[in-house]
Amino acid sequence: MVVVDKENCKGCGRCVAACPKKCLALGDELNAMGIKSVKYKGEGCISCGICFYNCPEPYALRIEK
Amino acid sequence: MAAIEQKGMYKVFPRSGKNVSFTHYCPGCGHGIINKLIAEACAELGLQDRTIFVDPVGCGVFTYYYWDAAHISAAHGRASAAATGACRARPDAVTIAYQGDGDLGAIGFNNAFQAASRGEKFGCIFVNNSLYGMTGGQMAPTTLDGETTTTTPFGRDPALTGHPLHVCEVFAQLKAPVYIARVSVADTRRIMQAKQAIRKVFEIQRDGKGYAMLEILAPCPTNFKMNAQDAAAFCMNEMEKEFPLGVFRDETGREALSVRPIPQVASCSELFAEKDAVPAAETDASFAERRFKFAGYGGQGILSLGLTVAEAARLERRHTLWFPSYGPEQRGGSANCSVVVSGTPIGSPTVEHPDVLVCMNQPAYERFVGDVKSGGTVIVDETVPVKVQPPEGVRLIVWPAIKMAEEFGVPKAANTMMLAALKKFKCTGLSDESLERALVASFKKKPALGEKNRELLRLAESRDSKA
Repeated sequence: MVVVDKENCKGCGRCVAACPKKCLALGDELNAMGIKSVKYKGEGCISCGICFYNCPEPYALRIEK
Repeated sequence: MAAIEQKGMYKVFPRSGKNVSFTHYCPGCGHGIINKLIAEACAELGLQDRTIFVDPVGCGVFTYYYWDAAHISAAHGRASAAATGACRARPDAVTIAYQGDGDLGAIGFNNAFQAASRGEKFGCIFVNNSLYGMTGGQMAPTTLDGETTTTTPFGRDPALTGHPLHVCEVFAQLKAPVYIARVSVADTRRIMQAKQAIRKVFEIQRDGKGYAMLEILAPCPTNFKMNAQDAAAFCMNEMEKEFPLGVFRDETGREALSVRPIPQVASCSELFAEKDAVPAAETDASFAERRFKFAGYGGQGILSLGLTVAEAARLERRHTLWFPSYGPEQRGGSANCSVVVSGTPIGSPTVEHPDVLVCMNQPAYERFVGDVKSGGTVIVDETVPVKVQPPEGVRLIVWPAIKMAEEFGVPKAANTMMLAALKKFKCTGLSDESLERALVASFKKKPALGEKNRELLRLAESRDSKA
């Protein structure tokens, strides 16, 4: 399942567009940098990793078992 | 436990005095995706301890904060040059140059192109976002026709600035590269292809196969003035029209060339095929220094003649210097050389006022005759009209060098005829034996010619001059 580290997210939305299950969305909360980071909707993730590879940031997203 | 997470990168990036875990890249930047793939490939192949990354100037400049391997920061455009040095100094290393399109396509094009042409053993990962990113989105060689940048605010006009530079297609003209491909990171499918291609670049370097060029089309949302999705779409819909994706060459099955061993020689004497090595010069203050000037046109053997006199001096363990001066022409231009023979170490190899001047044509004679020291000697070929007299106290010898050489049927030997005059009139302070040995030695690659010239030298000496 996808895990977001919102402090490392820049809110570009590439993962949101790429997710085949549409289970990511840009949130309303600001992180410390003042960015509206991405959020897991809470269901639907199939741990495919497509979000991870579309994300330009190394530590914003990861897939955990 | 994480099933998919970043590999091959430091956990913390100490940038600008702060420890953070996010990159300096703008949101949606292609560099970030590529950086992740490179770090992952390096780690998954177990190559981190063998890898030297050569970092560019441009947006990719900070990769040394991210990739956990060795790094060299190159000057702008010089990553391929620095990578050449790295891979030659450390042939066991996996060397990867990371360059952008301003860096590689413009200022550094020749460095990259020549490195590819030489087949240097490094992989060049070339990020093409169609403009200069870090400096604010100016036109690069890769900017599309009509594309708006800060320096092409009305769109790139091919009539003014030409068309985009196709790096892969140009490099594909070269013989040496083993792998040339263009990929993209605009969408998931393309990212997965890029991942495979990056892995391949590392494998090629791991196996020492040769040069690899991987161009990666990357979105630059900031300078495209688009959001991340539109920038990725621009990459796919516009950039790919100009820069089609694909593999331009894959010869990874080809055997790598191995460098021919250089024969090991024990000494310079051996290298220059000297049969009789002579010990270094001896100091003998009783030997008066003599300064020679030999002048004529290139092709008359002027430089060889000077060299023969210097060699004779060397055989006698005198200090000697030979100093040639000639135009860009290999033959037919003016040529002269200076030779100094001394019993003591020589300060300057230049000869302004010779004791002995040998001239084989008129311009040489008229240029140098006034410089000869009182008490000195001028030997001039008899074909030269003596319109200018030498200074007071200088002996003038008119000698039929060219004519004799022709009579003997060896016109090229006119310089040997001049050596005969130097020997006959005792101009050198060196023994006859040394002069002859030096002459023969000057034909060491053609021994028969050496003996022939010695014979001609002796014949010529028996002639009279018109002194």
